Order: sequence, then C-alpha cells, then structure tokens
Amino acid sequence: SSELRFKLCLDLWNQIKTETEALQDELHRNILDSLLEFTRKCSSTRQHSDWASQMRASEIPTAALVLGVNVPDHDLTFQSLSELLRDSVTPHVASLQAKECGGNGFRLLIWSLNSTAQILMGTVVDDDEEEEEEVQQPGSRRHHSVLCSLQALCDWYSSKTKARPPRGGTPGKKRSSAAVDEQHRQPPVVIIFKDLEAFNPRVLQDFILICSRYVQRLPLMFIFGIATAPSTIRHMLPNSVSSLLCIELFQSLSCTQHLTTVIDKLILTSNFPFKLSGRVMQVLVSIFLYHDFSVRNFIKGLQVRISRFQALYVRRRILNFHQYACVQRSVKSQAGNTWNDDTLALCRAELVLTTVVFLRMLAKDELISLLQKCAEVLQPVKSKQMKNARVQLEELLAKFKQLDGENIQHEDNLTSPVKDLQKKTDLFQLQKTLLEMNESRRSKRRSPFELLRNEAVEFIDSLVKNHLSPPESKPLYEVCYYSSSATVRRHLNATPRTSIQAALGRPYNYIQNDSLKAEDGTVSNAAPDICIAYKLHLECGRLINLYDWLEAYSTVVSAAEDGDPDSDGFGKVDEVKHARFIRAVSELEFLGFIKATRKKTDHVARLTWGGC
Amino acid sequence: MAGRLEHPGYDEEKLRIVSEQLPCREVQAGALLSLMGQPQQYCYPSLFIYGHRASGKSHVVNTLMKELELPHATVSCVECISAALLFEQVLLAFFGCDAASLLPRSPSLSDFVRIYRQQASQSPAEQTRYIVLEKAELLRDADANLLPALLRLQELVSIFLYSEIVWDKFRPNTGCFEPLLLHFPDYSKGELQQILSKDRHPSYSAEFYSSYVHILLGVFYAVCRDLRELRHLAALNFSKFCEPVAAGKAKETDAHKLWKNIEPHLKKAMQTVYLREVSSLQWEQMEEHDAGALRGLSAHTHVELPYYSKFLLIAAYLASYNPARTDKRFFVKHHGKIKKTNFLKKNEKTSNHLLGPKPFPLDRLLAIFYSVVDSRVAPTASIFSQRDMSVKFVLITCVNICFPLQIPEFKVAVFLFLCRFVLFTSFAL
Amino acid sequence: MSKRKVKDTHLPIGECITQVHHILRKRFCHQQLPDAPEGVEAQHRHLMELLKRSAVHGESNSVLIVGPRGAGKTMLLRSVLRELAEETEVQKNLLQVHLNGLLQTDDRVALKEITRQLHLENVVGDRVFGSFAENLAFLLDALRKGDRSSSRPVLFVLDEFDLFAHHKNQTLLYNLFDVSQSAQAPVAVVGLTCRLDVLELLEKRVKSRFSHRQIHLLSTLTFPQYSERVRAQLSLPDDFPDAKFAQQWNAAVTTLCEDKSVRDVLQRHFDSSKDFRSLHMLLMLCLSRVSVAKPTITAADFLDASRSCLADAKANMLHGLSILELCLIIAMKHLNDVYEGEPFNLQMVQNEFRKFLQRKTNSMYNFEPPVIMKAFEHLQQLELIQLADGSSAKTQREYRLMRLMLDHVQVMEALQKYPQCPTDVKQWAMSAFA
Repeated sequence: SSELRFKLCLDLWNQIKTETEALQDELHRNILDSLLEFTRKCSSTRQHSDWASQMRASEIPTAALVLGVNVPDHDLTFQSLSELLRDSVTPHVASLQAKECGGNGFRLLIWSLNSTAQILMGTVVDDDEEEEEEVQQPGSRRHHSVLCSLQALCDWYSSKTKARPPRGGTPGKKRSSAAVDEQHRQPPVVIIFKDLEAFNPRVLQDFILICSRYVQRLPLMFIFGIATAPSTIRHMLPNSVSSLLCIELFQSLSCTQHLTTVIDKLILTSNFPFKLSGRVMQVLVSIFLYHDFSVRNFIKGLQVRISRFQALYVRRRILNFHQYACVQRSVKSQAGNTWNDDTLALCRAELVLTTVVFLRMLAKDELISLLQKCAEVLQPVKSKQMKNARVQLEELLAKFKQLDGENIQHEDNLTSPVKDLQKKTDLFQLQKTLLEMNESRRSKRRSPFELLRNEAVEFIDSLVKNHLSPPESKPLYEVCYYSSSATVRRHLNATPRTSIQAALGRPYNYIQNDSLKAEDGTVSNAAPDICIAYKLHLECGRLINLYDWLEAYSTVVSAAEDGDPDSDGFGKVDEVKHARFIRAVSELEFLGFIKATRKKTDHVARLTWGGC
Repeated sequence: MAGRLEHPGYDEEKLRIVSEQLPCREVQAGALLSLMGQPQQYCYPSLFIYGHRASGKSHVVNTLMKELELPHATVSCVECISAALLFEQVLLAFFGCDAASLLPRSPSLSDFVRIYRQQASQSPAEQTRYIVLEKAELLRDADANLLPALLRLQELVSIFLYSEIVWDKFRPNTGCFEPLLLHFPDYSKGELQQILSKDRHPSYSAEFYSSYVHILLGVFYAVCRDLRELRHLAALNFSKFCEPVAAGKAKETDAHKLWKNIEPHLKKAMQTVYLREVSSLQWEQMEEHDAGALRGLSAHTHVELPYYSKFLLIAAYLASYNPARTDKRFFVKHHGKIKKTNFLKKNEKTSNHLLGPKPFPLDRLLAIFYSVVDSRVAPTASIFSQRDMSVKFVLITCVNICFPLQIPEFKVAVFLFLCRFVLFTSFAL
Repeated sequence: MSKRKVKDTHLPIGECITQVHHILRKRFCHQQLPDAPEGVEAQHRHLMELLKRSAVHGESNSVLIVGPRGAGKTMLLRSVLRELAEETEVQKNLLQVHLNGLLQTDDRVALKEITRQLHLENVVGDRVFGSFAENLAFLLDALRKGDRSSSRPVLFVLDEFDLFAHHKNQTLLYNLFDVSQSAQAPVAVVGLTCRLDVLELLEKRVKSRFSHRQIHLLSTLTFPQYSERVRAQLSLPDDFPDAKFAQQWNAAVTTLCEDKSVRDVLQRHFDSSKDFRSLHMLLMLCLSRVSVAKPTITAADFLDASRSCLADAKANMLHGLSILELCLIIAMKHLNDVYEGEPFNLQMVQNEFRKFLQRKTNSMYNFEPPVIMKAFEHLQQLELIQLADGSSAKTQREYRLMRLMLDHVQVMEALQKYPQCPTDVKQWAMSAFA
C-alpha cells in the first residue's frame, strides 16, 4: 500500500519540519528577544527621556543585525522578526528588499519611499477596518499628488495616533498597564532593510537623510540586515549620514553552531525512525561547510533524503507496512539499549570533532577550546573506558599548552613571517611567504603544532571507532539508515557543466546506441552532429576559423555515410551538411562554448578550456 | 549679554528669545537680520549661506523664521526628488493646500510661477516671503534651469540657500543672478566650550559638566571640530567621567583625579572618531570587556565564509593584484626557470597596491581557484552560485555588465585587510 | 504747498533710518528704475524709437539686446516700457507678452503662456490645432477680431533669449520672426541675452527672418563715472520727508566717496566688474550696517563689505577643517607637486601621510585607515577634491582617482590662518620634498 507509505513518509517529514522550525525559533530566540528589547527601549526612552537619550533625540535608533553569509536562512529570521514585532511592539513594520527597489538613482528612492509608505499604511488598513477612513484622509486631500512623501506618512501617523481612543474607556477590554498604554499610543515605525549590502548606497543615504528630518515627529527605527561584516555600514554611509544614526550591533549565532544544534537535536536523537549513514552525513556536512553555510539548504537536503528513502521502499517492496511498524518498534528498543548515555555524549563529542576533521586547517585556539569542550562532556561519565579517554584527552591538552610555551621560542619560525605580512603591503612578499608555506607543507616539515594536531585528531578518531560500532554492522540497519551518498550528491550538488560535457564527449552513455561505442577519447563518426562539432572544436585554439571547421566536419560526416574516401564527392560540403553544421554550431553557442567575435568576422572565439 | 540682537520692526521680546537660542551665532544672526531688514522692507533677493556641517546654518535661519513668525517655506532639497515636490511644498507653506492642488500633474516652472503670482496677488504680502532651501547643492542635479530660475524669482520672494559647498561650484555655464554670499565660520574652541556646556546633565552641577567639556575639547579639538560629532563624543564618555563621583571615590572638584580616570578612555575614543559605529550602551560594554585593545566595531571584521568562498576570494585577490603573465610562474608546478632580474618590470613591483585591483576575466579566476585549492573540486553549480553571492556582497565587483554569453570580468573589492584576515584564519598562520 | 510742509517736518531718527532703508533697499534689492537712463542714453533712444513705431504705427520689428549679466538689459527695457506707457495711445493699444527662457522650457509651455497673457484661454477653449504656426496665427487673429480692422500690436519680450534657441526646431522663434517679417500682424520681438554669439545658435531659416538689429550694452564706464554712480545710488531723493536729515546724509555720502580707502575699494570692484548688480551687492552690505545707533555709512563699512564680497570661499572652508583633513590636503598638495598634477587616489595620499608620520617619534595623528577614509570622504563631500574624469564610480573607493581643487597658494594661505596649527604640520607643508 504505497499510499499509506506515502502518508507515513509525509507525516514523518512534517514532524521533522515542525521540529526544525521550533528549533530554529529557539535558536533565534536570543537575538530576536534582544532586538525586541531594543525596540521597546527605544520607543519608551523617546517618551520619558533621560539625559543620555535627550542627547540622542535627533538620532534614529538603528539595529545592525549581522546574520552571516547564509542568505537562504535569512528570510525565515526576518519573517519571524517582523511577526514578533507586530505582535508585541508595533503594528507599523515595513521591510524593504534591495531587489524590489531595483534600478538606479532617484527612481529607486521614490520607490522605497512609496513602498515604505504603502506597506505601513497598507498594513493598518488590513489590521482594523474602522481606521480606513483616517488612512484615506491624507490621500484624498492631495489626491493628485502621485508621490507618497514622508510628509504624508507623518500626517497619517499623527492622525492615526491621535485618533486612537484612550484604551481605558473602551468597555470589554482589559485595562492595560500605563507603560504599555503609553507605548501603544506612540508605537515606533520600524523599517527593515533585509539586505543592506545590495542597496544602492546613494539611495540609502538620501533615504536616511530624509527620514532624519522627521525623526522628531515620527518615531522611526531601522533594522539593517547585514550578511558580511558591520564595517559595511561604514563603507556605505559617510560620516554625515551615519552621524544621524544611533547604531547598536546584534550578532546572530554563527551558522556552524547553528548546524551543530540542528544535527544534535534532530538527527542524533531517537525520536525519528530515520537515520543517516556516515557517508551521507559527510556529504551533507561538506556541502554545508564548503559551499553555502545554509541551514535551510541542509534541511532541504534532509527532505530529499527522506523522499528518496520512501521511493526506495516503493521500488523494492521489501517490507509491507506491518512489518515495517514492527521492525520500527524493535529498532527503537534496540536504540534505547545500545545508545546509552555515554555513547550519546560521545556522539556529541564526535560531532564537535567531525568539524575538526573536515577543517583540518583549524587554528590552534579553536582546536584547544574544542578539545576542552570534549573533556567537559566526558566529565560526568562514569564508565572506566571513558575515564581513561578523558585522561588521555587532558594529556593532549596539556601538550598543547606546553606547545604554547615553546612557541615563544619558535617565534622566529612561525609568527614572524606573519607579522611581517601584516606590516608590509608588498604583494610579492606576501606571495613568497605563501609559497614557502606551501612548500613546507609539501615537504612534510610540519610544525610541532601540526604534528600534535594530527595526533589529537587520530586519537579522537580511534576513540570514536572503538566505542561506536558502525550502524552497518547492526541488523536491519537499512530500515532506518539511508546510505546512498552518491545520489544525494547528485541531487544537491549538481555539476551541470560536467554533465553537458560528458554528454557531448561520450554520447553513448546517454543514447545507449551500440554504434556509438568508441574507445576512450574518440567520438564515433555516427555521433550526433553537435557531438562531432564539439569534438572538433576541442582541437582548435582560441579563435576558430569557421570554414576550416566546416571542412573538418564535412569530412567526418562523409566518413560516417560510408562514402568512398577516394571519390570526388567525398568531403564536399553540400547544402544539407552545411545546414546541419550551422545548427550544431548555433547549439554550441547556445550552450556557451563559443561566441562570435568582432575581431574577425569568419571566426568564433572558444570560451571553454581544459577537461572540466 | 554681549551680542544682543536688536532690530527695529521686530518685537524685542521675541528677539531676546531668539538670541538666547543662538549662542555664539549672534554676529551671523545679526548680519542676517540686518540684510533681511524690517518685515515690510525688501530683502536682498537671494542669499547663499555656506559653512561647515553643524555650524548653525539651518538652526539660525529656522529660529529666526519661526520665532519672528515670518512667512517662509523651508524645503530640504534631499526630499525633493522631483521639482514638483518642491513647488508643492512651497505653495503649501505659503497659501495652504488649495493652492498646492492647483498644480497640474507634472508641473513646469512656468506653472509654478503662474500659480504663485496668482496667489500672491490674491493675498498680497505685507512682509517679504522667504523660501529656504536646505542642502542646495542637490539643486544642481535637478533640471539645469531650476537654480537660475529660482534665483530670478526676485520680484516675488527672497531665496535663502544653504550648503556646505562653496558658491563657485554652483554657477551655471552662462551665469545667473548672483546671490549674496554669507559665510558661517566654524566655531572657535571657546565657542564650542560654551555651546557644549549648555547640555549639562541634570544631576550634576554646571561647573562639573563644563570642566568635563573642557577636558574633552582638550583631547579632541585638534582632530574634530564638528559640533555634532563632539556632542556625540560627550554623550558617549560622560558616564565614564562621572563614574568616580557616582561611586563616591572622588568629589566633583577633584579635577586631577577625574582627569586621570577619563584620559585613557578618551585616547581610545580617538581611534574611532568619526566612525560612529557604536552607541553608548555598547561602548560601555566594550570597555568592560577589553580595556586593552579597543578598536570599535571595525575590529569585528570577522566574516564567516564557506570554505570554497574563501578560496574564491583569495583567487580573486591574486588575480587582481598579479599581472597575468606571472600566473604561469606562480601556479604551474614545473614552469621552468625564469630569470629573476627581468621577471618584474620595475613599476609593477611598487605601485600595485597603490593603484588598486585590476579587472580579470572569469576564466582566470577559476583557473587560479582550481590551482589554489588543494583537493580536486568538481565545477558544481554551487561554486558558481558562490561567485554570484560574492558579487552580491560587494566582495567582488563585476566590471562589465554580463551579457549572457560574454566572459564577465571582475575586480576584487574587499579591503586588503579582510583578504589577509581570510588568509590567516584559513591557513592557521 | 505740500512741499513746504514736508521740508519743515522733523522726524525722529529711527523713523528716518527706516525711511532710508526703505528707499535704498528698493533700489538695491528691487531694482527700482532710475529716473533717467544713466550711461545708456543712446541705446535707450534707439529702443524707444523702435518700440514706439510698433506700438503707434503697427510696424513689425525684431531686436536683440545683448550685454553681460547685470549690465542693465532688463532695466533698459523696463525704463523704455515705462516711458512708452505714459503715452495714452500706446497704453490702450499695445499688448505685452513676457516670456522667460528659464520658465518656458519648451514651446508648448510657451504657447500656453502666450495664450494666457493675451487673455485668450476662453477663445481657444478645447480647439485642437494642426501646427504651432496655425495656433499662433489663430491667437493673433483673435486679437484682430474684437477690435478695429487693423489689429493691436503685440510686444513679445523674450528674456534669456538664447535658451529659446535650444527648443526643438526653434519653432517659437521661427514663427515669431516669420510673423514679424511677413507683416501678418504687427508684432515686435525683443530678445534679451547675455550671449554675444547668440546669432550662431539660430538656425538658418530663423536667422534669415530676423532683422539683425542688435543693441549692445557694453559698459564704457570710466572710474569717475562709476564713483559718481555710487554716490547717486546712495543719495536720498529730494522728496525725502525729513529734508535736514537727507541733506546730512547726502553730504556724508559725498565725503565718503572721496575718502581714500573707499576709493581704493571702489577701484578694486571697478576693476573686477562694472555691472550694476555686483555694485548693488556691495552697497547693500554697507546699507545693512546702518542703524539708529550708527546712522551713517562709514569707510569701515565699505572695507568690511568689500572683504566679505571678495572673500575666497574656499579659504573660508579650509579654516574649518580638522587637522587630519588638513594633513590629507597637504599630502595631496605634495603629490601634486611631485607628479605634476597627475590625479591621485586615497592609497597614495595615505602613503604620503604615513611617510610624514614615520619621521616623527611621538605622533598624535596615528589614525586608523577607516578614520582617514572618513576624512577623505568629507573632503570629497565638500568638493575640495573631485573625481578625475577617467575614474569610474564603480572602482573601489580607495582607488578612485581624484584631483585637488585647490592651488598651492590657497593651501599655504589657509595654513597660515589656521587656528592652533601645529608647527610640524606647517613645516611639512613648507618642505619641498615630502
């Protein structure tokens, strides 16, 4: 009953999804809470002002939210942020995205002003309809004016805040405390810039300048979403603009930490009857570390896995549902037995250290702190073996510390070139040192630190291997473990270029026609036109003479047609061949292998090189 | 008071209020007032006020206009993204929204002047009307006719322009009606002291705050004369200054002790003057954390980048600063011997970092990337998407607009120190 | 009788001063016409004659008044028109249309304005015209119908005439000149412009229809005439309410104009420009210092006013820079000296600055690069430095090529005036080798 299976799979996925969302929320809780606190504080100090806030009355409070380069994850954060803001602080929240304000110059400014105004005014219309009248009022008064100015927004805001009846008078509603009431009467207007880097700096500057003129009347607040580093603000805004802002920095959790928590809470638990084998895990983690740092993509990968998992069962029809449920139960109990506490703890430690293994180039401080963390994890464990491990670990740590002491003596060797580098801006110096470093690595003249690092890694490795038998050795593991790493890689980390080239270079693999079978590196004459043209172009230089190419092509094709090499017509270009050739060439151009040049009209330029 | 404002035709009480609000700008306010003359008299048709930021240009004019209740329209040119907005705001300020609604959909100057004339004849002015334009330098970006035309509105209205840029940079090619220039000089040290002392903390005595300002100016005056910036610095460091007093360790009069306490903090603040990256709260927190090496938020240049992005960046960096002919030598294992002496042209060696990065094509970037990365990397879609991401984050800038099939060229845009930072962290140097 | 009465009145001093301001401000700020043309009598006569012929006899004509800014072109035209208006026949006959190249930026707008000024909006209504010429002809026709058989003459005044030449196809100019030449209707076209080469801007077909009559206002003023004009401009008229005060004032003005220092000031202004407007500016600054407490203009006022008129604005701005910004400017100056005006970028400037710092043991100017960047940005904002032509805005900020918009002398003078300028910075600026 595949339907049932499908449903089951869907349930499982939904379960994982809700769990991850809850987890993500939890992870962002800290930073979001502090942001909310910040907005609340800003709007309240505006009203009961002390000396410090009086001094800054003319500045726009701004939160710089550093989120890291994992852009795909940001949307979720901003979504929950604006929801939270709407719920607890202010109904007036607008988010701007650079690509919505695309283009250049003033048009963009108009756009961003307009959209801000529209978003703000719009939300309230949705919020409660009784206010619609007031919203319309400023619009109708100067109906002809096409441009929404901040002035209009200001009028709208003041009419809105004034129009709001005092809370105490309304029957049926709970009397809120004075402070909350105050805040509600003057809720701040929050504008979120989702991707600050992508905004046109000029427009941003003008926008801020305009806003700062109204800050006395309109309690504005900005939130800058920054992907790289806070210094972006400095690069984008000159002092004359940034002095209008009162910036506070919020740094989100680093994404590796984020991922660790996700893996910890989602995958290394016994809650889900779905496990990943080591290799699949490795693929996922390496995509994360090498490519995008995106937790969302990681979760997506997980989803792909689950769907594949389900598909596998459909195909194999190994187990029907009853058996499946039965086995699941047994596995659960099994898991309960084998995965006792300390293995779990070790598991966590391993996870921390997988990162180390992947990033063998980790700096010393980080490594030490990681090892220390391991030791801490192992602290409460009672079994003898574990204690033993802990002792060893501590020895290692001690060695590292000792190394620190030695390093002072070895400073000439290690640190001084680095210092030199920092001082000198000379590029060639830099490069030379780099080359030296490379060489030293190649010639295995490793520094004591590197040796020690390897030792540490090996130790951990063996420790883990000892205590954790691979799941493959357990019975029925394939029920819970998904292990096809190649498919995963294919799905998540596609290599479009390689596949195109493979298709063109070895058409047999795709067409499965025996006549196309050929030795390595050659293409049969009977291959499709585009393959022949491709093969021929590989032999050319940067500029390809079209006529020569055509000649060569025609010769090859004629050979395929079993023409007599000695006859007159052999290799002659007829109209049909000509047309086929033109089609092949334009297809190659479409695929991006060649392009027309202006230098020589009868030549095309080759765009790709090498085997990749 | 030394420089009291006096001028016939205005209420003395109001003038007194005005001069109280304009400390250290009495001379300028007086000059302005005497140029404006009595309300019924003619003022010079256009006035161009220039001076540094925070030298009180708009403050003086606005205070005069507001307190003396002169008919005026204050418009900031930043806000007027189109001339239509400017016209609308001026008419609105003088004649109310009925007049503003007379403007057609995309009004020309001609429409504006016509409506203005018509309205002005309906409600003839007994007083000179003033149009005040802030950030006048932006008028130059608008329609070329706008500024000369505004300056010729003389018969109708007086125009006040102010800007940080000198008038010479405004003059159109064929010239125009020259405005009267008025310079607002920067505040002297004594004046700054006087102004800054005005916003004293309510829980401390005026003398105490003024001594604080004195110390502050002693440190910062040499590098920073911007009132706004100084005020920010004052707000930033005051809590530190009065810390010993609040803790009961020193008295307000204990000047030497207080100086000893605050000096290192001010010295540190010198490093970040003008950067404005931090608010007071975080400033204090940072001071607590690392009293030793405080460098503002600019020290937070830590960027977490995925592994391959780092290498892409490094490759881009190498491609930008190395001449292409040296690639073979640097990135091919067996490149053969090249004579060192004529390997480098002389000018290449020194000025590369002074002249900035050179553009490079995508091919080269990828080629260097593959040779820099140790392991074999498949040219997957993710690598290309990372490149696009770097472009988006302004780490690398795309020099030419990428037509679909053209080889795009790039330039590294990150600052050198960031590149180095990436290098060091990824190689554990 | 009234005159006698006026002569005897004694007004309080405050009232007198108010009156002085009132009268003189009208002259300086509102361009009140002088009673008689001064120095341009010939041009006045010429123009008067021309316009009279159009106004009275219905002759068509076209003329250009050419002269530098502030030379009195508008004043000439206005005084002629004022004189014309005194004749009753002209008064009821002549129609005037005033257009300004700054306001009527294209011919469509101009035509609308013409319609409006001729009060023909109702006549035109919603009518649609095929061409510009048709429309103009209709307007002129409409004027004819209401009146007698002959139509009323129309005077077109085109201020900033050269700007009309930039309109598409020069349609307005072509049609106006065409009408004026073909005598369809009596039309006088007066153009005012400050461009001597204005005829070069006209298309051939437009040019050929123009009468080529030009009135040039090139000032031939001598210095004695100039100072006489100053005296006249400052003097009070005979009908001033308080005759005694007026006498005193005029006497004071006369002695003032003979004062040595005032003559020097005036000579300097005379040498730089002779036009009315810059003179008015100077006199206005002097007048603004007159108050009850100081009821006359003194030589010191003249000196002050001239100083603020001739002040170098850039030097004023340099005075307010911070030390760091000044140091950067000095570094740029050195770069300019060494590389002979080649553009530079921030990196080079920073390098130059660093060289200066390295020579000193204890340095208080050890700023972080970002701080220097901010200072550099500020200089750019003040437009003391500007992007060199070839450098695109896409280049990274440190590497954009810039040029210094100050010369050697300006920098050195600013250094001398700079308050509390450290001596080592001064020396650095002075040293030939950076």
